[in-house]
This record gives sequence, structure tokens and C-alpha cells, in this order.
Amino acid sequence: MSVSREFSNDGKQLIIAIQGKFDFSLVQEFRQAYSHIGDSQPTVIIDLRETEYLDSSALGMLLNMRKSLGSSVKDIQLINAKPDVRRILDISRFDKMFTIA
Amino acid sequence: MHILIVDDQAANRVMLRGLIERFGHNVSCAENGMQALELFSHKGADIVLLDVMMPVMDGLTTAKHLKQLSGEIHLPVLFITALDDQKTLLECLDAGGDDFISTPPEPIVLQAKLNAHARVRELSFKLKEKNEVLAYHSNRMEREQNVVSHMLSNALLENELRFDFLQTYLSPATEFNGDLVLSKGGPLGNYYIFVGDFTGHGLAPATGALPVAQTFFDLAERGLSVATMVKEFNRRLVKLLPDDMFCAAFVAELSAGGDRLSYWNGGIPDALFIDNNGEVTNRLPSEHLALGILPPDEFNSSLSHCFIERGQRLVAYTDGVIEMANTDGNRLKESGFENKLKQFGHQDQFDDLVSSLESFQQGTEQSDDISLVVVNCVPTGLPVKQDDHSIIHLPFELKVSLTEHNIKGEDPVTRLVDSLSHLEGIKAHKTTLYLLLAEAFNNILEHNLLRLNSDIKEEDEGFERYYSERERRLKSLEDIEVAIDVNYQPVDSVICFGIRSNGENGYPADEFSPVLDEEKMHGRGMQLIKNFSRYYEWKDEGQCLYIEYDLNLPSV
Repeated sequence: MSVSREFSNDGKQLIIAIQGKFDFSLVQEFRQAYSHIGDSQPTVIIDLRETEYLDSSALGMLLNMRKSLGSSVKDIQLINAKPDVRRILDISRFDKMFTIA
Repeated sequence: MHILIVDDQAANRVMLRGLIERFGHNVSCAENGMQALELFSHKGADIVLLDVMMPVMDGLTTAKHLKQLSGEIHLPVLFITALDDQKTLLECLDAGGDDFISTPPEPIVLQAKLNAHARVRELSFKLKEKNEVLAYHSNRMEREQNVVSHMLSNALLENELRFDFLQTYLSPATEFNGDLVLSKGGPLGNYYIFVGDFTGHGLAPATGALPVAQTFFDLAERGLSVATMVKEFNRRLVKLLPDDMFCAAFVAELSAGGDRLSYWNGGIPDALFIDNNGEVTNRLPSEHLALGILPPDEFNSSLSHCFIERGQRLVAYTDGVIEMANTDGNRLKESGFENKLKQFGHQDQFDDLVSSLESFQQGTEQSDDISLVVVNCVPTGLPVKQDDHSIIHLPFELKVSLTEHNIKGEDPVTRLVDSLSHLEGIKAHKTTLYLLLAEAFNNILEHNLLRLNSDIKEEDEGFERYYSERERRLKSLEDIEVAIDVNYQPVDSVICFGIRSNGENGYPADEFSPVLDEEKMHGRGMQLIKNFSRYYEWKDEGQCLYIEYDLNLPSV
């Protein structure tokens, strides 16, 4: 599976990890991964450590998520991006909309 | 049995020889001690009958030499003497004598004595044999332990315990440590630590360390998550360890910035966050069963995550720390340990903390392995792994012609980039090359061939609708052709791509260079191409997109 979703033990963080290619082929899976997050306002963490490829559709999906989750989450963080992936996020000025760590 | 009779008086020798030969033993005779030693060296003897007073060498001296010659094997020495001189008797015993016979001897007593001493000698043979077997096994054991200890130290060669931000105190109770502390940097500048405690001490738990260490180093190098790590540790240990053995473990990953920790704790005492006064600010308790107990499908790998304020330190330790006892038999316990943390709260006081622990248990025998690690949560300063940026020296050209069959339900761009990545120097650029090619390919496919309108993406749920519409139109696509030309010239190390289709309408001219609205769902693709390429151009009235990418430039 290329999208995995897991709540941390204390339920305060939802971790979504994307393996391999991140693009529109994951549009349903990715949407499901951040659905049903409950009322506890968790922090959503997108773990990109195993993401090798991504394109503008992935960026669109991230923005879509941000729009759809709105204030039901505390924060959305994009973490563990490899340098090349990080550069794509930086150039797209995603640091303005997400916490990139 | 071979009996040696030593007496300077011929009559005694003849009388004893006659008697003993009748018992069925072989007999040799010597006239004095010197002769006796010579005879013994050549022919040996099982029991020696020895006169005390003899010329050349007397019995007492002879007895000492004989015992020496006999070495580890017990040689019974019986003195031939009248039993009325207590002082001589004592001297005989001191010289190593085992018994006395009087002359003339009672035949039945002599026979009984010879038999009794023969049995003692036999026992000594058996003892020697057993000792040899024992020594053999003990040598073998030592050799095998050396082999294991060699393998262990080789397996731990990759262990990186010397980091500025890491302090450790590891004190095994026996030669083989049942605790295991592993530490390694990851490819993102992140950092992994493993603190484990196998059941038991000695060789068995130490061998469990081998597969764990290898897996840890391998997965840390690949930068995988702690959840993936613990799943793999558990899978291996369940298969390997006997039912009564397992491994309690605390496994954690510190982000490169030192500001985020994800961890899994199965059976290790609460790990602690402490501030610079040594005050506990957060506890990271055990939430799982130890590794090596649950079968993979029941194993729970879910992690805990926390954000770390600046200046915090992570303290992880095995139960050997809190179970250490002083001479009164009182254990240190969590409270005692946390008091010591407060007492030696500053990171420069780690050595004092360790001395204080050592003096607590001074005078007692350490009964369990002790491991204590303190990680200062600061930016790790570890290098971020870079792929090989060597340059390709051979020019090449690649033409790919795709029809609808290669596009429906397939992913030609990933395949193309995966294939190109096998060329030296390309791998380091694969993420960016994928981005450029995917954007170009999707633009051609979605706009020129499928005639999709990007504005749909801006509507509610538009994103999903856009892609399901894409899917729908793709299904009915026929007689299409997408050609991808790849051309590389080593002179300027630039890769050029041309992507064109046989679609009738070109890319809309007004979108050739869109102004990017950061919140917008579309228009991002061309912007990315513009940013990451050295040069790009729509050719043939928007029928062909031409892109140049410079391998020398880790772009922008």
C-alpha cells in the first residue's frame, strides 16, 4: 500500500505516510486517509520519507486536504522530505501553507 | 599389576617377590633408591614397596622423587618398616608415603592393601581422563565464546555511539551484554536510537543482538520509520527466539532539527524528557509488549510522537539502573534515579551522575546489565545523504512512442524515469526528472488529447471530478500517439526532452506562462517546469513541449 494512515498512541497526531509515487493515482486513497479524524483537533503529519516522486497533482491534493480539513485540525506538517522533494515544496512556497519540518 | 620392590636386603626382596607373584602380579626389584628411580623411569610401576634405610638413596628421598615422576597420576608408595618407630612413620608420611607394611607381612593383609591401593590408583586414572575431557570442553567453550564475541563486535562496527549530542553508560553484568544499545544517523540528518534488554544474561541474549543490530543499521541507513523498524525486529525475533526469551526495547527517531521525536516503547522503564535542571518534563512510558512475543499479525507498531522544546534531553535506560541495590539491599528505584538526575541535572554532569550510580552499588555484585543513554535534543548536525552526482560521459538518444494501450491503466512516465535512473549520474536527479516529465506528459495528455479544462479543479470537489473525468475520457481514447524524445549531450551535460502528440488542438496559448496563484489548484505544473528546467518552449503551436534540464545544476 502506498498510503498508510496511523494515529499516534495518544490520538493527538494522525500520521499519513506516502510511499513511492505521490500523484493523482492516489486521489481516493489519500482523501480517505484524512477523513474521519474526529473532533479532537489532531495535528496531521504527512511523512514523505519514502516518497520518491511527486508532481503538481500531489501538490494540488495537499492543498485540497488543507482546504477540506480547515480548522478541524491543529496543524498540518510535511515531514522527512528528501532534498529533491523538499525543493519542489519550497519552490511552490508550501512553507506559507504548511509546516515543513 | 606391576609392583616395584625396593629393598637393599636380598632376603626381603625374595620373600616379597615370591608372595606378590603368587597374587598374580608382575614384580620388579631394585636394591636402592637410585636403581628404583631408573627402573621406574623405564618400566614404570603401579605400586611401590619401599624400604626406609638403604645405601645410595634412602626410602624417604626416593619416595619424593617417585611421586614427582608420577605426576598427576597417583602412585601408591608403601613403606616396608617395623611399626614401632613413630618418628620414622611420620617422616614416611611427610615424604608422601601412603601406607606401611611390616616384615614379614601377613599375606592376606598385604593382598588387601595392594588391592585397595590399586583401586585408588585406578580412580586417579579416571579422574585424569575426566579432567582432560573437561579441559577440552572448557577450551572449546572459550573458543566458541570468542567466535561469538568476535561476530558481535563485527556486527556492531556500524554502531555510532560517538555523537556530541549522545552520552552513554553501558555496564554489562557478565562478559556478554544482554542489553543492547544501538545508534545511527539516517539519510535525512535524522537520528535513531535503540535501547534493548533481552531476557537473561550471557551468550544466549547476546546472539539475539545479531539480527537486531543488522536490521537496525540497514533500516536506519534507508531512513525508514521506527514503526517499520520494530515490525521487522519483532518478525525476526519471534521466528528466532525460544518462547521464554524476548527483548524489551525503546526505539526512537529524532528529527534532523532535534525538535520532533517518534518512539515505540515495549517493556522498557519510562524514558524521560528532562530540562537543564534535571527535572522530568515528560514521561514516555511502555505502551507495548516486548519484541519477540507477539506473532506479526498481532503485533502493534503504532508510535508516539512528540514535539520537543529546545534544551530538553531524552533519558532512556534499562531496568538494571533502577534495580541496582546498595549494600543494605535497598534498590535505587525510579524515585532514587530521578533524584540523581536532579542532583546532576546539567548535561556537563553526566560523568558525576555515572559515578554516583557506581558508588550507590559499590560493594555489591552487579546482578543485571545496566544501560543508560542521554540524548541532547538539538539539531543533529548529521549530514544529509547525497546521491552520486557523477556525470554521464556518453551521449545517448531515446525515442519512446506510446499509443493508448501504453497509457490506459499504465504509468509510462514512472517506467521511463525508473529506466533512466539506471544510468550513472541520473539517479540523483530522478525526482526532478520525474516532475518535469510527468508535468509535460500530463499537460499534453490532459489538454491536447483529452481536452480537459483545468478550471474544474477550482470547483467544490472539483479535484476528484477532474480526475474521474480524465479517467472516463481516457477509456474512450483511440488512435493516439505520444512521442517522447530524450537526448543527452555530455558536452554541456544537458538532457533534452521533446514530448508531442497527434492531438488536433494545441496547448492553449494563454496558459503558456500562467501567473501562479498559490492557493489555486491548477496552473502549478507549468510553473514547476519553468522553475526546474534550464529552458522550455511550446513548439508547433502548442503541439510539442520541449524541455532542457541541466544535470550540473541542482536547480534553483
